[in-house]
Amino acid sequence: MNVISNNTLRATVALAALQHVVDPEIGLNVVDLGLIYQIDFDEAAKKVYCTMTLTTQFCPMGESITDAARTALQETFPGEDITVTLSFDPAWNHEMISEEGREFLNER
Amino acid sequence: MFTTTGDTATATTSHKVVLPFYLYAAIAFLVATVLLLLSANNITEHYFLPHTLAIVHIMALGWGTMIILGASHQLVPVLIEGKLYSDTLALLCFILAALGIPLLSYGFYVFDMGWPAQWGACLVVSAIVLYLVNLAMSMLQSKKENVHAVFIFTSALWLLTTATVGLLLLHNFTQPILSRNSLDYLALHAHFGIVGWFLLLVTGVGSRLIPMFLISKYGNDRQLWWIYGCINAGLLLFIYVFLYSGNRTLLLLPVLLVASGIVLFGNFCYKAYRQRIRKKVDEQMRLSLLSVAMMVLPVVFLVVIVGFLLVADKSQTRLAIAYGFIIFFGWITAIILGMTFKTLPFIVWNKVYHHLAGKGKTPNPKDLFSNVLFQWMGIAYLLGFVLFTAGIVAGHVFTLQLAAVLLITCSVLYNWNVLQLLLHKPDRT
Repeated sequence: MNVISNNTLRATVALAALQHVVDPEIGLNVVDLGLIYQIDFDEAAKKVYCTMTLTTQFCPMGESITDAARTALQETFPGEDITVTLSFDPAWNHEMISEEGREFLNER
Repeated sequence: MFTTTGDTATATTSHKVVLPFYLYAAIAFLVATVLLLLSANNITEHYFLPHTLAIVHIMALGWGTMIILGASHQLVPVLIEGKLYSDTLALLCFILAALGIPLLSYGFYVFDMGWPAQWGACLVVSAIVLYLVNLAMSMLQSKKENVHAVFIFTSALWLLTTATVGLLLLHNFTQPILSRNSLDYLALHAHFGIVGWFLLLVTGVGSRLIPMFLISKYGNDRQLWWIYGCINAGLLLFIYVFLYSGNRTLLLLPVLLVASGIVLFGNFCYKAYRQRIRKKVDEQMRLSLLSVAMMVLPVVFLVVIVGFLLVADKSQTRLAIAYGFIIFFGWITAIILGMTFKTLPFIVWNKVYHHLAGKGKTPNPKDLFSNVLFQWMGIAYLLGFVLFTAGIVAGHVFTLQLAAVLLITCSVLYNWNVLQLLLHKPDRT
């Protein structure tokens, strides 16, 4: 699934940072797992909006994963206001895993 | 574009509520295996012996039920996609059960069906009522309905039925309130618990967790509804045949229905395994999958037992004891041994490292326990299980003692790993 953004260049930087955020159970980063849906930027207001999902609602690791995503974005865009929101519409499914992610899981 | 739900969708049950259940269950498992060794010389005489009754109830309530209650308080939000209604009710449920189980087991051990056992049973029933209320309220709050939630709620109803019937049977020993002797109802009480509680719950929760941990593409709600129907219909038919029909041949019908449910569940797990995206299957999942295969064993024993009843018109005491053993120490224990280390590490990780998420290097949840200890535990368990079953069937005391030592080894290693997890502190270096 492709990540939607209103600023492709900044989104690339954000996704690179989010590749360091790993789902502890699966061992795969949230970008390749397909958990990131949208990243928008309001440069005038210095705001970053990230919409992401979890593999399952009420995932016990959910809060840790969203906190880690928020921290990663905060470190990448210091001084900007980061908002991470969860969406389960559409719900995550296996088709959202990237090719790299599939290769990683095939190896494990 | 996307409907956002905010942070409420990540709220999970407090670890303070869940962890005591895990610790209690681990200790109960150790106690049960030690009692198994102490009772090895007379365990094959009859299934209605004080020590055997105590072991069965420690295994069924202290080990199986306590860990399932703990895990389900954690997993209910995932299964019903909604928050647990009350952490306080969950904690009260733990306290009542934790007090009730030793009292009940002590009553059985000294064969005193008076106040310790009766009060123990009352406390256990109260704990189950609280669990059921918590579950019902959580489900009412949740907007989504799903097959797994129906499994878990129905199994809790069967658990309450089991415990209530157990309480009635206890009172019936000292003050006759039922039309027959308590001993006559044992099969009914036992199968409410084994099939209605354990089997229904394990199939309902397992059908959600096994594909989830395997990252499998497979899902089939229609098949799950069939499993649900087979197990419940089998149990209801068993009640009818047991209470109202003198025709023993009819006993094979409920066995067939429950066996069909088990086969369908095995088929579900097999397809989930085949369609998994994550190719490497860890030891914890392997043991859990093995437990699914082990579900067939009691069915085979049951068919043989019913067969003997029909053909030779006599009960097979050793086979009946082996049947009980391979249920509690077989698939129920195997799935708990596996699933403990798929769930507990994440609960502990969340407790210890949640505030450090994304702020530095943290260990993986699977690194919080020793996989080497887990492997040795698995070997000791499988050897102990096979030997003890053989020992019961052959009536060989030394084999039983040797097997009990192996099972104690398994429970010690299990406790060691569980304690290592529960006492885990972040590395300060």
